[in-house]
Amino acid sequence: MAEGMSLWMPAAISLAGAVSGFAVWSRPMALKMWTLAVSLASLASLVVLSGAGGGVLLPALLPIASFLSLLGQPPHEDNRAAWIMTLLLLGLGLGVTAGRDGERMILLTLLLSLLVALLYRYRALSVSHLWQGIGMYGLGVVCLATALAAPAPVSAAAALAVCAMLLPLAPVHAGYVAALAGLPGNLPAFLACLLPALGFHGLLVVLPSLPETVRTALPLLGLVGAIYGTLKALAQSRIRALLAYANLSFFSILWWYVASARTVPPQATLYIGSVSLATTGLLLAWYAMRARYGDMDLRAIRGLAHPMPRFAVLFMLLALAALGLPPFGVFAGFMGLLLTPALPLSGALVVIVLAWLAASWYFLDLLQRLLFGRHRPDLRYEDLHRTELAALLMLVIILLVMGVAPTRVFEPGTPVPRPSVAAGGLAWNK
Amino acid sequence: MSFVILVLLLPLLAALIVVVGRPRSLDQRAKIGALPIIAAFFVAVVTLVLVSSQGPISLRFYEPRSPANLALPIGVYVDRLSAVMMTLITAVGTIIYLYSTGYMYQDRGYRRYLGLIAFTTFVLLCMVSSANLMMLFVFWQILSWLLFLLAHNHAHAATLQGACKTFTLLRVGDAAFLAGIVLAHALYGTVEFQELFARAAATPVVLSPLPGLEISGATAVTLLIFGGAMSKSAQFPMHIWLPSSLYAPTPIHALLHAGIINAGGFLLNRLAPLYGLSPATLHVVFVVGMLTAVLGASMMLVQNDIKKTLGFSTIGQMGYMIMECGLGAFALAVFHLIAHGLFKATVFLNCGNVIHKVRQEPVSPHAHHAVEEHELPRLTWATGFLTTLLLPLVILLVTHGVLRIPLLDSQGTVIFLFFIWITSSQAILTLTRLRAVASWKVSVAMLLTLLFVVFTYLFAAEAFTHFLYPDPREVASYFRTAALPGRLFDGLVVGTTLLTTLGWVYLYAQAHGRTVRMPVWVQALRVRLYVLFMNRLYVDVLHDRLGRWIMRLAHGLDKHSLGRSR
Repeated sequence: MAEGMSLWMPAAISLAGAVSGFAVWSRPMALKMWTLAVSLASLASLVVLSGAGGGVLLPALLPIASFLSLLGQPPHEDNRAAWIMTLLLLGLGLGVTAGRDGERMILLTLLLSLLVALLYRYRALSVSHLWQGIGMYGLGVVCLATALAAPAPVSAAAALAVCAMLLPLAPVHAGYVAALAGLPGNLPAFLACLLPALGFHGLLVVLPSLPETVRTALPLLGLVGAIYGTLKALAQSRIRALLAYANLSFFSILWWYVASARTVPPQATLYIGSVSLATTGLLLAWYAMRARYGDMDLRAIRGLAHPMPRFAVLFMLLALAALGLPPFGVFAGFMGLLLTPALPLSGALVVIVLAWLAASWYFLDLLQRLLFGRHRPDLRYEDLHRTELAALLMLVIILLVMGVAPTRVFEPGTPVPRPSVAAGGLAWNK
Repeated sequence: MSFVILVLLLPLLAALIVVVGRPRSLDQRAKIGALPIIAAFFVAVVTLVLVSSQGPISLRFYEPRSPANLALPIGVYVDRLSAVMMTLITAVGTIIYLYSTGYMYQDRGYRRYLGLIAFTTFVLLCMVSSANLMMLFVFWQILSWLLFLLAHNHAHAATLQGACKTFTLLRVGDAAFLAGIVLAHALYGTVEFQELFARAAATPVVLSPLPGLEISGATAVTLLIFGGAMSKSAQFPMHIWLPSSLYAPTPIHALLHAGIINAGGFLLNRLAPLYGLSPATLHVVFVVGMLTAVLGASMMLVQNDIKKTLGFSTIGQMGYMIMECGLGAFALAVFHLIAHGLFKATVFLNCGNVIHKVRQEPVSPHAHHAVEEHELPRLTWATGFLTTLLLPLVILLVTHGVLRIPLLDSQGTVIFLFFIWITSSQAILTLTRLRAVASWKVSVAMLLTLLFVVFTYLFAAEAFTHFLYPDPREVASYFRTAALPGRLFDGLVVGTTLLTTLGWVYLYAQAHGRTVRMPVWVQALRVRLYVLFMNRLYVDVLHDRLGRWIMRLAHGLDKHSLGRSR
């Protein structure tokens, strides 16, 4: 009973914080401080009540992402709704990780409905992907209802579809892309952490009960998603869409791995967490640019390395982390996955390595376009403010720590299905 | 023995001294920053002495059998190979740092530049002293990124493009290296060097990636890892990043050509026991090295820019180094990379002065040097003939009979002799051609010098081989594994000798106004080859087209899919 309570406490703090935030609605600075305090309180309660042992990392990432995404925000009245929504989504997300089957489904339904409402509310801001995103999350609500009502194999497949919408997997990734590319303020940066974490959590639960045919199809979908995400990322000229498709590619690799190996090693948590945090960092950095110059195309700005050195250094470090260079967490997670004994050796590895390689290409292109070249003389340049700097610096440090910390810190804590065939290993081995 | 960590940390300290602080104290900090790098050199020398007498030093900050800390297992393993490389890197790093403090003085990127030089030295040292394959790979990748930054100028479009190409191609190599590590771990369950070698030798594995195709586990792993070495050491067709990076400041090239580019040779040496298990890989290495040597040297001949000439010369030399590895002469490859590194660093550090001088004095070489004698005296011709044709026989006989080096069993040594012969003859004959002095004294002096150089080289190379690989059985086993079929090897040596000699005869005749009748098709071929090599075999064009094709594919997919970007 006490354990159940302890898991619910952080969620309750966030939800209560979101509601009580309306008390200081008219004072943006006070509201920002309040949301920061609530995020910290959620994190503290999560760590204290769950114990600092393995398994706490993924839920703990949610309040961390919430805190850091709020920290760099300018105290402006236009941002207030996004801040309250962040706490609300945080509370629902923590509730999903804490709840049992029925509670989790209900909270997920609420969360998806909220996302649909947000996408519809901010449809004017969204440049693309909007209706597909709304449709996909609407379908997610239907899937959740099916998962609650239908018998075993159908309910598992429906639950899996919802997981694939949250932890994006082609062809049901449109909601994720819309959320990252279309929502205002700090919401994309926070959702970049929240959605994959919830999808991964759901996957851990649903994986053992999946029908064999679905399990067989998943690795193929993972490979297709990795290629599709890579090619789409290469074609983007808007950074938020680029990051969304890059993540589709990275998470598809995880889908392929989990479905092929039929096991979820601790390194998977590290991989999910670090890919998400790197994206959060890049989205926050881009938010700092949007706050100065508006939502613009990558072709409209260049040469920031010289006039904005702090921004350039941090953006570069985050991009390096995101493309999988050591010593950051993405590399550690990726290598950790590939060096587990459960890795299925097959020709699919070529696709995985190529997807990893292509990330260097589009992230380098992003850096080249944004940071290097001659800067535009018609723009007024202003480097990162203290809070923006602090948020990005903390993200870089966390990614660095995730890259060098012992892997046992990242144990998922949730019961993991035992490997059934992967231990047999080497398909190539004659 | 933990003082060896100092060698790694001192350059890092230098980087911090330079980077952290206020701009007004930068000059002082730049000077102070030289001290830790110099100290690192002395500690490296002490380490070399200790390792030579007391055996390898191993420090691990991780538990190899625990899967919990596999992602970044930090440790130091310093054997003779590592110690030699550490000494070379710190020596070259010291010289380049000191040179750069003057050369780049008051440049806008002075701080960033010096910091990067010191940090690159640190990364190189960590790479060569890695305790396991994973740590080596970690620093290998960081080096790829540092190369991008070093070959980089924010505001110069061509430099940016070159830096981008550099990183892209290096990442291709990194991806192959990664696949090699993953396969090695999957097959042998470890990334620890000694365990990996032992398991690979003890448990031969056969893979069947495609129906009807069988390949040994060691061959698959070594071929993939060789992909990494190919990119860093600019082997054909992954060499195109090197000429593209030539806009960077001159001292960067000294570091690049003396240190970074040698990473491929070091990697092959570090994994020599693994490569020694796979004749197929060694033959591939030999072919790639030979192609690179020939094409690199050919492309060098048609360049009209001093830096590009030196860049392609490096490509050719790296081809030679890799070819030596492919022949099983791993220690010779290290000897070669040290000699080439020191030579090329000197040349690059000096080439800026040459360019500067030529700009000030447009008539260079001086008028009184430019007048060549157009006649070829008999004595000079006889000297050339002796040098090119008779001397190799003497060298072979002495090597085989007096020094008792088993030439029949070591193709690597034959190739090394071949290399010594060609380069020293070329150098001396060029001098002869320039001055065309018909004097007995000069001729005898040249012949003696050549003999001295050849035998000193040979003695040094043999001693160095014994130093790096004290067990002669190990060296012999590499030679045996790498041995090409006897007739093929003999044919290669004889054919190359004939071609080289004919080339010299032709050049001499041309230089002295003699008419050499050539069939029309040979003339046409010459012109075509000239154009082909001048355009660097169009590999850059192919690379660019491949990039454009992928981008077209990506944009086509984006255009025809839902949620396209606008």
